[in-house]
Amino acid sequence: MIKITEDDFSVDEVLNEIRTDKMGCVVTFVGVVRDNSMGKPVERIEIQVYEEMALKQLEAIKEEAISKFDVEDIFIVHRHGSLKVSDKIMMIAVGAGHRVEAFDACRYVIDTIKERVPIWKKEITPDGDFWVEGEKK
Amino acid sequence: MKVKLKYFASIAEYVGKKGEEIELSGGTTIDDLLVAVKSQHDALLGMESIIVAVNGEYNEGSTPLNEGDVVALFPPVSGG
Repeated sequence: MIKITEDDFSVDEVLNEIRTDKMGCVVTFVGVVRDNSMGKPVERIEIQVYEEMALKQLEAIKEEAISKFDVEDIFIVHRHGSLKVSDKIMMIAVGAGHRVEAFDACRYVIDTIKERVPIWKKEITPDGDFWVEGEKK
Repeated sequence: MKVKLKYFASIAEYVGKKGEEIELSGGTTIDDLLVAVKSQHDALLGMESIIVAVNGEYNEGSTPLNEGDVVALFPPVSGG
């Protein structure tokens, strides 16, 4: 399942949705809004997404990870809009027979999202608003 | 030919809009398009890292554009 939404999500619901009896584990990654960036305070963040392209990229990353690491299933949800400190930004859940491939696949998914899914964060700080820009590939 | 431009994140703020339609001559490449867009929007002149997606797929350089293409211009991504 791939989902891009403005709404909050429930970690428990994601776990219930992905888990099957074939899985021996579900490894999860939850990204949250922190109150600082490079030593300076952050009040909230705004997330913008190019939704049609992001959905295609997330689906492709999911399929790549499933075939590369031989895991059972992957759930990815990413939020957009205005988020406050401690809000959940995104979650990856990888269900697999065993932990090693699940951890490897989860790491691959988050690293690849940061490289190529068209989503951008803007940090709202007491000193002004700043777009966070990744490294060009 | 006409192509539809979409701008995201800092690029949308520099340009002051989320997108526009522009008229280009046949055979215009992505590199040509970037020169044309920068000539219309001075704020983009200093930007080295403009990433291009054509019809939702990453693309760059000497690839020619076609009538009706949707071309997205954006800075390096920072999701996750």
